[in-house]
Amino acid sequence: MTEPSPPASSAPGSPSNSGNATKPGQPSKLVDFLLYAGAAISYIALAIYNKWLLDWIVGPFWLVAWVWGLPALVKLVRRQPVRPRRGPYEAPQ
Amino acid sequence: MSWAAHQFEVYAVEAHLPKKMVGQISWFAIFFGDFTPDFLAKFWVYGFNFRGRHYGATKPYQWHRGWPGMGISHTLFFGILVTLGIWAWKHNRAWTIGFLLGFSAHVLTDVNDSIGTMLLFPFSTLNWSLHTWAYAATVKGGKYLDAASYFSSLGLMMDLFWFFVVLGSWRVLSREFWRTKVVPADPHAWSWLGQWLDDRGLLALYRSVFFYGVCRMIAWTTWAHLVARPIINGVRHNGYPFDLSWTGPWWVQRVSLPHVTPLIVLPMALILLGCVYFVANAIWERMESGSIRAIAWRNVRRNTR
Repeated sequence: MTEPSPPASSAPGSPSNSGNATKPGQPSKLVDFLLYAGAAISYIALAIYNKWLLDWIVGPFWLVAWVWGLPALVKLVRRQPVRPRRGPYEAPQ
Repeated sequence: MSWAAHQFEVYAVEAHLPKKMVGQISWFAIFFGDFTPDFLAKFWVYGFNFRGRHYGATKPYQWHRGWPGMGISHTLFFGILVTLGIWAWKHNRAWTIGFLLGFSAHVLTDVNDSIGTMLLFPFSTLNWSLHTWAYAATVKGGKYLDAASYFSSLGLMMDLFWFFVVLGSWRVLSREFWRTKVVPADPHAWSWLGQWLDDRGLLALYRSVFFYGVCRMIAWTTWAHLVARPIINGVRHNGYPFDLSWTGPWWVQRVSLPHVTPLIVLPMALILLGCVYFVANAIWERMESGSIRAIAWRNVRRNTR
């Protein structure tokens, strides 16, 4: 928790220069949409009958598990690296 | 109390920051500020059962918002104390102001139920309430009755109101906004999380509070009106009846605490909201120089050791 500063050049989580364009090899917006929709439908359907799921930890975790965890699982099965690899930060043009 | 409204207002605050603070307020701080009052008070409101015995507040409404009780956790006074503590600890205005705005949003939204909050604590322990819907957390009914009551009353409308406020500024949920306004305001926290999550995971984390708000609103409403089969006044109902009248629903026993007249509550809440934004705006630049001085002092101390 320190005073905000510009993101470090290769810091993980720093905004990359990709904008909204999908890089080759990255899943499309449709896949993203399906992951979000899948997370919402499954969470609501299960939570109606299992209300312990309606919890401020489980709810956010559920979304991250679907949107990040599922693709990570697929990568793991394909023996691809799961942890983010960061290239040097390119300043937006 | 409000339910999903507290999740939505995190994004509403983020989307409606004063111009000079856009891209400089920590989203995590807004979230923790909005989350702190209920984190401190709510667990004991519902309590829990262990070996056939109930552990929790005997008067949930008194505990949650009253004095004596944890009502202090829902006062601007307490929010300001914690805010000062954050500033004294870290000298970080992104976190200090973010926490203050999030906390204030929670306290001011909660004036809507029949209990309200002690807006002028410690000068007055009277509660300020608009009585828009009935506060329904009881020992017997627990969380289920509370949820059924809230999502059958104007509370649901409050959630929808905040939902549409966020949808009206939908860009706050976009990847572009997150990249350009949210991450730069708190680069260290996002960088730390970025050790494990890629950009997609981090963006999902940012959106997850909104996701939770939408899902809990739909799930509880569906359960209350399509699944539950309550017996009210000896009559079995297919779902809890809707009642969108003021201080509804009629089928819940309305509780209240000593309070001021509801006529002055909305003006006072708006004045206090204006005061919070005015003060935050006024001290914003001064905090920057304070933060630079604090960092300089810290470096001096390190070098002299």
